[in-house]
Amino acid sequence: MGIPFDYAPDRPEYIENILSGLDRYNPETTTVFQDYVNQQCEDRTYDCYANLALLKLYQFNPHLTRDETITNILVKALTVFPAPDFSLCLHLLPPHILTPFSGSTSNPAAGDAPLSEAVQKLNVLSNHLAAAQYSAFWQTLDSDDLYADLVADVSGFEELMRVRIAVTVSQAVREVERGVLEGWLSLHGAEFDRFVREVCGWEVGVDEEGVGVVRVPLNKENEAKGTVVRENVKFDRETLSTFFTSPYARVLERCRWTG
Amino acid sequence: MSLAQRLPFQTGDTPARRIEDASDDEEEALVNNYKEQVRFDDELSDAELPMPVGQAQLGEDIQSRIAAAATPLEYQATLETRFASYDNYCSLFHFILNSDGPVDLDVPSYYWAWDVIDEFIYQFNSFCSHRNRVARKGDNAEEIQILRDNPNTWGCYSVLNVLYSLIQRSQMNEQLAAIKRGEDPATVAGDYGSRPLYRMLGYFSIIGLLRVHCLLGDFSLALKTLDDIELNKKAMFARVMAAHFTTYYYVGFSYMMMRRYADAIRMFSHILIYVSRTKNFQKNAQYDSITKKNDQMYALIAICVALCPTRLDDTIHAALREKHGDQFARMQRGGPDSLPIFEDLFRNSCPKFISPTPPDFDNPEINVDPIEHHLSIFMEDVKNNVWSSTLKSYLKLYTTMDLRKLAGFLEAEPEKLRTWLLVNKQRSRQVRWSENGLLDGDIVSTSDLDFALQRVSRTQTF
Repeated sequence: MGIPFDYAPDRPEYIENILSGLDRYNPETTTVFQDYVNQQCEDRTYDCYANLALLKLYQFNPHLTRDETITNILVKALTVFPAPDFSLCLHLLPPHILTPFSGSTSNPAAGDAPLSEAVQKLNVLSNHLAAAQYSAFWQTLDSDDLYADLVADVSGFEELMRVRIAVTVSQAVREVERGVLEGWLSLHGAEFDRFVREVCGWEVGVDEEGVGVVRVPLNKENEAKGTVVRENVKFDRETLSTFFTSPYARVLERCRWTG
Repeated sequence: MSLAQRLPFQTGDTPARRIEDASDDEEEALVNNYKEQVRFDDELSDAELPMPVGQAQLGEDIQSRIAAAATPLEYQATLETRFASYDNYCSLFHFILNSDGPVDLDVPSYYWAWDVIDEFIYQFNSFCSHRNRVARKGDNAEEIQILRDNPNTWGCYSVLNVLYSLIQRSQMNEQLAAIKRGEDPATVAGDYGSRPLYRMLGYFSIIGLLRVHCLLGDFSLALKTLDDIELNKKAMFARVMAAHFTTYYYVGFSYMMMRRYADAIRMFSHILIYVSRTKNFQKNAQYDSITKKNDQMYALIAICVALCPTRLDDTIHAALREKHGDQFARMQRGGPDSLPIFEDLFRNSCPKFISPTPPDFDNPEINVDPIEHHLSIFMEDVKNNVWSSTLKSYLKLYTTMDLRKLAGFLEAEPEKLRTWLLVNKQRSRQVRWSENGLLDGDIVSTSDLDFALQRVSRTQTF
């Protein structure tokens, strides 16, 4: 019932063929994968396994690298947090990509300084999400025009993020103050009501002091059920026979008679 | 000969422990399998006899290449030696793969095929690390010039090409798929794959790919590579101790980097238990070579357990406390002080990561050690976990608790605490393998502690 990491429901057959054969290393398939990334950005589908294959082609053939495609892949990976996709993408980027750069005075020969800067900016967003600092995520996103450029290609980015945040919230929360959730979703007023009621299916109300409250219906994750730790102890015949000839055997027999 | 070697097995302490461990049947199978392996080791000593007469026609040359291919590179080998070794591998693999039909080679031992693939990848790994180091230091003009002039020596495309070609020639994936379906692999093996030499080279090349992908930081592809291999004691890799060990190390490590800590712990435990139970009768060179990796896996399992508290097998737990007791306790305690310990243990026990392409010799400062790159990404996840053990220790004491009160105990802002709680909840949900390929798995809760956030009951209208 689990979904394998390398599975993507909307993956076209021609991509599947490249991925499962040696063409995944063929530099000529780079453009095919790039187009596929664009398509994912447009129609809101997502295929991490294919995107990693493209990053690997870039890793092997740095001259083919397209910065814009890399950042688009990273932005798409943000939309599936808290899955590890974002960091799996980072692992395939050049090792200096996360090294702090010293602004415009940095060495111009390090040709991809703009890419480093973009990746590190996105990494800040990813860290906010992983740390469940959702308000900080939205504030950072709004803080710099570069962010707007970076997410521009990914259709419905903000809504995809809101849905992901709502999913993680629903796993941990039964009731939360409206003000807190507004910050987490970066939505207010009627827009907030619409999203929370219609998209999430949660209830919006007020308590007796007039403080807005949102109630998340019980689900498998937020019911906070105790877990039973079970240990299986296997007895082989030898142990059992020593057990039956021990003084406990009589107790056991008595149990059988009375029970 | 094998009688003497079986005796220690029968008097060993394995049977006495039977009651403690539910997986003992498996372990027994492991030990039995080990006996088989010991016999292979014996074959080695028999095989050190002079080569058969028919061998002479292949020439001295190929025999020396065969021997060289499985011989460990000397420590601090010069660039010249590394280049010569690369050429040796190229011509040997060319001979094996591109001769007119399958070739007959008399190889020195049962596990020659493993040794060759192992050494081939080790030399690739060590060459790339060396090249990166030379570029970072930037003080050896002569070596820099040689490396600049030969960008394709030990290139990642040629290394992958060798491994994939060996797999394809032997039809290894098709053979393994047939075995999985319960069919006879011989029906799909073809001319090459029906010969032990090609079969073994093909098989171990799959393990080799697992390793190369992991060294390059492609952890999902590393796990995907093993799709056709079933991880159990009947697997062919289990017959060569070093192969067995290597497989579990890289699978466990890849799981760890995919943040599937429960699966990583399962892999590391499995192989560490195996080693601890068989070490009494492993007094050969193969065992010495894995001692270091063994210690590394204890460090890795300590990292994983600190990030995903799990009850370990008693043997492992005792050994872990002996080897990394202090560090383990500090990682479990958490807090900012624990971060340098995670870093130290990771650096000392991770694979020696490499960059596949030649470094930028003109700009030494941008040639970051790949190990530092992967470490910094990994540490982001560790930093997120830094308060979880303190948090859990309080949560365990209460069934319901006011957020502000708990925040007071933890000396944190209620807002901050709320995010810690969300993080904790997120982290306790992990993908865990249950069947099919290694990348498959179900999302499960790995924590023995569960909670939900609720407002203190007051009258509310909805």
